[in-house]
Amino acid sequence: MKSVEHKRPAFNRDIALAMKQHYSNTRRVRPLAYTLMSSNPLIEVAYAAGIQPAFPENYACVCAARHASPRYCAKAEAYQYGQDICSYCRNNLGYTHAEKDDPPNGGIGDPDLFLITSSACSHYFKWWDTLREIHEKPMVFVNTPRVMDPLNMPDYYVDFAKKEIRAAIGQIEEFLGTDISPEKLAHAVYQSDRTVAFWQRLLELQKTVPAPLGLSDLSNALFVLIVMAGTKEGADLMEKIYHETSVRVAEGRGILGRDEEKHRLLWLNIPFWYNLKLLGVFESRGCIFPISDYCQYIWGVTRMDNNDPLEGLARKSLEGELNTSLDDHIEKLIEDISAYGIDGVVAHSNRSCRVLSVGLPDAANIIRKEMNIPVLVLEGDHADERVYSEAETLMRIDTFLEMLG
Amino acid sequence: MHPVLKEMADVVQKGPGFLKTLKARNKKKMIGYFFPVFPGEILHAAGIHPVQLYPSLGDPITLADDHLQTFLCGYVRAQWDQVLKGVHGYLDGVILPRSCEAVTFLYQTWRRHNPFDFIDHINIPWKKTPDTLWFFRKELERVKENVGSFVNREITGDVLRDAITIFNKNRALLREAFKLAKNPESPFSNLDGFHMVMSGFFLDKTTHNELLEELLNGAPHLKGFPAADPPQVRLLLSGGCVLDTRLLETITGAGAVAPVYDCNNGQRSFCTDVSMEKDPLEALAAAYARTPCGFNTAIEDRFSYIKDLVSQSRAKGVLFAINRNCETEKFDYPLLDQKIRKELGIPTILIETDYLCAMGPLRTRIEAFVEMIRDNHQVEENQNEKR
Repeated sequence: MKSVEHKRPAFNRDIALAMKQHYSNTRRVRPLAYTLMSSNPLIEVAYAAGIQPAFPENYACVCAARHASPRYCAKAEAYQYGQDICSYCRNNLGYTHAEKDDPPNGGIGDPDLFLITSSACSHYFKWWDTLREIHEKPMVFVNTPRVMDPLNMPDYYVDFAKKEIRAAIGQIEEFLGTDISPEKLAHAVYQSDRTVAFWQRLLELQKTVPAPLGLSDLSNALFVLIVMAGTKEGADLMEKIYHETSVRVAEGRGILGRDEEKHRLLWLNIPFWYNLKLLGVFESRGCIFPISDYCQYIWGVTRMDNNDPLEGLARKSLEGELNTSLDDHIEKLIEDISAYGIDGVVAHSNRSCRVLSVGLPDAANIIRKEMNIPVLVLEGDHADERVYSEAETLMRIDTFLEMLG
Repeated sequence: MHPVLKEMADVVQKGPGFLKTLKARNKKKMIGYFFPVFPGEILHAAGIHPVQLYPSLGDPITLADDHLQTFLCGYVRAQWDQVLKGVHGYLDGVILPRSCEAVTFLYQTWRRHNPFDFIDHINIPWKKTPDTLWFFRKELERVKENVGSFVNREITGDVLRDAITIFNKNRALLREAFKLAKNPESPFSNLDGFHMVMSGFFLDKTTHNELLEELLNGAPHLKGFPAADPPQVRLLLSGGCVLDTRLLETITGAGAVAPVYDCNNGQRSFCTDVSMEKDPLEALAAAYARTPCGFNTAIEDRFSYIKDLVSQSRAKGVLFAINRNCETEKFDYPLLDQKIRKELGIPTILIETDYLCAMGPLRTRIEAFVEMIRDNHQVEENQNEKR
């Protein structure tokens, strides 16, 4: 198996440093708000208000990558949270109840506040309500609607989202005992939009052959897109990521060489965070993932105008795959399969992520039929490696790659 | 068995078959919806027969696997399987609420394979503030317009008020029936209660009201069950959808009675009345937003509701019957369980149910639970006597 590690972009080191700084901040800076990642307009508001956000979902990815997730999930199960609950949530609830001896990345601090939106998985409301009960801290909740028919979204959805965000800002100001400066909020929205603009241009670069980045690089960059949304540091780092990638494209450098890149694949659903080396298995066989629905359609889809921060944040809170579903993105997927020169799909049927898995069998069937390309469905879980079977997964991948040729 | 109870049981057992016959007779369009968070009043006011959808328990799931993975709720999968098999051929449409993830995201799959003429979805607020209720009212108005267009009929405020009057009466009659069920010598068995509620999801509400009135008018004359010896242990049954009548029979067989059910097809479906004082859509929004289902209700509010039910029914234990892969109820269970034990001082048990699950292991656990409560109660009584 050939290693392509030396071909990975240098920006991954910058992201690692930013991540280290972020986790250090979550233990040091007060007030600390547990903040949902998914299209959450309160991330920008938190930074504008001088609140340090911490992201239990991201920390669950970190724990999974460091193989700490099984013990945290098991701890949650000991507290009666069933195995059929999302493994991000179990990881977090287990971490909450566990002894904090040597947690990955040093751990995250206890929250002073919760900043939640409903533009995410439905059960997240239950998760954060549970955390609110455990920590007995206030919760600010933007209860935006699901958009099940994005092409015909009623006007009052945006009006309502604006009302909700305005009310949330009021609650945060009450919590802080001070107003959030409109200039700071506009600045956070400006920086968030800058980040999104560079991200969208970055995704365009992925259409190049050979693909300049792989799925693990893109997944790393998601940290900047989501966790650092609204900060100048985040926007500057995304700009740097974009420029480095542009240079790679100009020089014809990819994760695989032009002659090595035999197949361009699409990954559906969340990667196996505990086994990102699996992507290396594909790379060693001449396959690259220039895109995934997870990177492409959930975050970074909304451009915002800092002259009207509320409008931009409202639209952000309504858009994205988590608030609309994979089913609704099938047409977009079909377009992108052509645009990115995709010739095979690997779909993760993710047992504890219903939001990204309902509709996946349909998507797989439609892609097979309309695009006449093969789809490999892998069973697994995004963060609980105990339900993952390495042998079975490798065997299925092997068969799939043999078929691809 | 009282003839009304027999008729209700018959309706529930026939389920889709009953609805097909009814449709052939009344020629009305029928629209189904999930969970008691959507106001059936809107459909009734449009001259449509509303059906609160639950799967029939019987046939194995075979076709739904093409669209819905096995790690999704068995009841949702069974419902979709039965739609694909034409079991619900009487339906002209469906309305899916934002509820649990499986139902919420079934919308697009359903729309793509839609075997019916009408499909819509509706967002249900989780927060209860003036703004979220304003939004819910807008959602109801949108769905009302869509339904009206479907049947080419204007749904006026007056017809909506008339429908609310009928539905309020239905809720009041069911509450009255369950008040009787809470008596020590209840005239109703676990299964009777189930049939009383579930038949209301199939029958026309006016007909259901007439049946309930007939039943309740005769209630003083209904013979209560002879006092059991030893006395039946009173339980509160709590879960998302409790559809398996074998479970209710098992509870009865174990020597227990569940006079009230905290589930979507139980008390939650008739506990809130709609105000006649307000604009009808505003009143519907205010009432239905407060339906205490798991997916739209905070733990604190759920506990408060359960606390009331335990107190009213004098339950000595809580039996959580939660479906495998029901993420919503599974999430609330640990803290609810803790609060019930600590603050109400009564024992609880969790049994995991599923579509067509094996009852043997569950029966053993339920029997042991009931026996444990009875023994504890006996010890307490003996201690009280000694004092």
